[in-house]
Amino acid sequence: MRTNRLLAIAAICAAGSASAFCGFYVAKADATLFNDRSEVILVRDGQRTIITMSNDFKGNVKDFAMVIPVPTILQRNDIRIVERRVFGALDAYSAPRLVEYWDENPCQRWEYAENEMLMDVMPTKSTGMSRLFKEKATKDYGVTIEAQYSVGEYDILILGAKESNGLEQWLLDNGYKIPTTAHDVLDPYIKSGLKFFVVKVDLERMQQSGFEFLRPIQVAFESEKFMLPIRLGMANSSGVQDMIVYAFTRTGRVECVNYRTVKVPSDRNIPLFTKEKFGPFYKDLFDRNWKQEGKNAIALEYAWNVTPSWDGMKCDPCVGPPPMPAEFAEAGVDWALPQGGGGQVFFTRLHVRYGREKFPQDLFFQVTPNTENFQARYILTHPAEGDLSCSAGQDYLETLFYKRTREMDELYALTGWDLSNDRKYMEEVKGKMSPERRNGLEMPYAPVDGPNDDGGNDGGGSGIPTMIMILGLAALLIGVFMQRSAREPQMN
Amino acid sequence: MLAQLRSFAMLSPLQFLQRDARHFQILFLGIFLIYGTLELQWDTEWIRYFTLMGTCLIVQTVFIEWKGMPWTALKSAAITGLGLCLLFHATSISTLVLAASIAISSKFLVRIKGKHVLNPANIGIVGALLLADDAWVSPGQWGSGPALVFLVAAAGLMVLLRVGRIDTSVAFLLTFSLLDLGRTVLYLGWGMDVWAHRLMNGSLLLFTFFMITDPMTTPNATKARIVWSILIAVITFAISTFAYIHTAPVWALAVLCSITPILDLAFKGERFSWLPGTNDNSSTGSTGTHGRSGVPSMTSSIIPIKP
Repeated sequence: MRTNRLLAIAAICAAGSASAFCGFYVAKADATLFNDRSEVILVRDGQRTIITMSNDFKGNVKDFAMVIPVPTILQRNDIRIVERRVFGALDAYSAPRLVEYWDENPCQRWEYAENEMLMDVMPTKSTGMSRLFKEKATKDYGVTIEAQYSVGEYDILILGAKESNGLEQWLLDNGYKIPTTAHDVLDPYIKSGLKFFVVKVDLERMQQSGFEFLRPIQVAFESEKFMLPIRLGMANSSGVQDMIVYAFTRTGRVECVNYRTVKVPSDRNIPLFTKEKFGPFYKDLFDRNWKQEGKNAIALEYAWNVTPSWDGMKCDPCVGPPPMPAEFAEAGVDWALPQGGGGQVFFTRLHVRYGREKFPQDLFFQVTPNTENFQARYILTHPAEGDLSCSAGQDYLETLFYKRTREMDELYALTGWDLSNDRKYMEEVKGKMSPERRNGLEMPYAPVDGPNDDGGNDGGGSGIPTMIMILGLAALLIGVFMQRSAREPQMN
Repeated sequence: MLAQLRSFAMLSPLQFLQRDARHFQILFLGIFLIYGTLELQWDTEWIRYFTLMGTCLIVQTVFIEWKGMPWTALKSAAITGLGLCLLFHATSISTLVLAASIAISSKFLVRIKGKHVLNPANIGIVGALLLADDAWVSPGQWGSGPALVFLVAAAGLMVLLRVGRIDTSVAFLLTFSLLDLGRTVLYLGWGMDVWAHRLMNGSLLLFTFFMITDPMTTPNATKARIVWSILIAVITFAISTFAYIHTAPVWALAVLCSITPILDLAFKGERFSWLPGTNDNSSTGSTGTHGRSGVPSMTSSIIPIKP
């Protein structure tokens, strides 16, 4: 009971007061957990979109080339290079988090401890250097170089094309390595009127700049299309890829309009020993949830009002400082800055795991007025310590035993882990109980003995029976209806 | 009312469903809501559901009292309420109340020759989108897939076979899918799976089988309905494809509903009635086993809700 009461206090605290910090952040599951991932910052203000792309290119930079379909011919001012750390800052702020609480000893009465977290602000400065250069188009491929820029370590061309064969040939002839499957998607993009933003690295300038990694590229344009063209990138990769989208809007959450946007499971109580393996925990949770959702849903991992002038709590608990003016400037959220009017800013973090099979369409988004906060948060509870032999203490242990049983169930449900070797987590509570109390315990039905049944191809988990039940019911009703209507005259 | 309840109690569940096509609609829309909540992991927003359903029922009750209609007309409000629960979102209670009030009162306030003009749930959504800044529709909330097609289409067909509005759905879906096939596959060159994914969108299917088919606001004559549905499909296609408005169907339907009276003038057809023989439905001649008499007097003792 005591545990429940404390958790209730924590929950109220979490939901309410603006300054109190509830729980103590211990770990985060950041984007680096996921291999083969890309990160994108998406800013949408009316018809204006600013996309910042970070890539985890792991080969020799001289082989690096990127082709991105864009709706308009970008001007030089629409292209910037930004510092990579803006991604780190946003990831740190919005990553799924683990919090821990401490139970009070009912035999002793301790004070509930609160912790404050320091906000560590790192100022950054934006960069933007440019030098135009010339590149010759030697043949007529039906390709038009609409513009060419030299930005930072990158050589950038904006290409317009009449047909995909010419574009493909032009790219090959100019040393861009493109996958053979790209052909399928170039044509639809050309016919949709998209231009191609083509990027290569200038090795000399890269060496001069002293940067070890490729820095993110940012493009800005006005278009009614609010989308991410994932199909072209898909051609580069077999299997599935992960993409983290950090979105900023004036009004509220960003959601996908042609795929489902689903919250990842959150606010779950999980066993203490998960603390040591929080990274794998979240990775497996995400994977399982993605499969249960049919492998074609987009996961919402974080949504919060991050308006600089708003003095409400910007995270609870904070695993990284909320976005600061430097990050807003870097990401292109101009309106958030004092000189931009200091308007409202809403932040959304989406995690997309996509592959060719389940994601045939590009991702289209919309900005909603939905300002409900959300975070992926998992809760650890430390047991009370000291002598628990008093009656209230024994009551507490009984509650703790059942609570831990539920935590194990939860962990199993979330990750599918084999927990048969972790029964000691419940046994150690039993060890502290008096023999009569111990004998009075109802044996849990916990599935901790069950093997890990998380097969690679289970499309549905618990969802399948529901689905079958509903479809079965519909089919049954149709049958009955058909039979009936054959016998009865039509009503109208 | 008691007699009515007793007569319902004597029916088997199936007979009860058979009695009025609206029972099927309520059942299926209810199943969709459960499906969305359990299977598609929608947020279980009880406040939203209660507000929308409650407002629809209360406003309908007020009009039933005012117009002296039978209480069976509450079923239509329940359908409108469920439709809004399935499609409409808002952050404030007042916007939810606004949408539900517009939806129901439009049925009584915007009438031409005794027939209401606007599709209630649709005009509720459109009105709230225009008037409030915290309203939205989530076209992606249903996802896209063959199971969804089966579920929505099977349920939809059951209702449509009964109310005779299958022509509306077929004409709309056929026109839209052919236009989209032409654009997406034949012109742009995307694979068939892109086209299929677009068509299997749950919101589009729900719209096709449960919204545009509302028999009270579709044109009376079959020919007129087909023309009307084709026009909705063309407008939906045009504004979704070229203006990237993802809520295109609701806007197209709002526009087309306003020309229904013209089509009714041009093409003669028999007006639809949920329960032929009662006074909330009019012109169909048949009374059959579905008509009931004396409904208003029986129900007059249970009027607890006043505005």
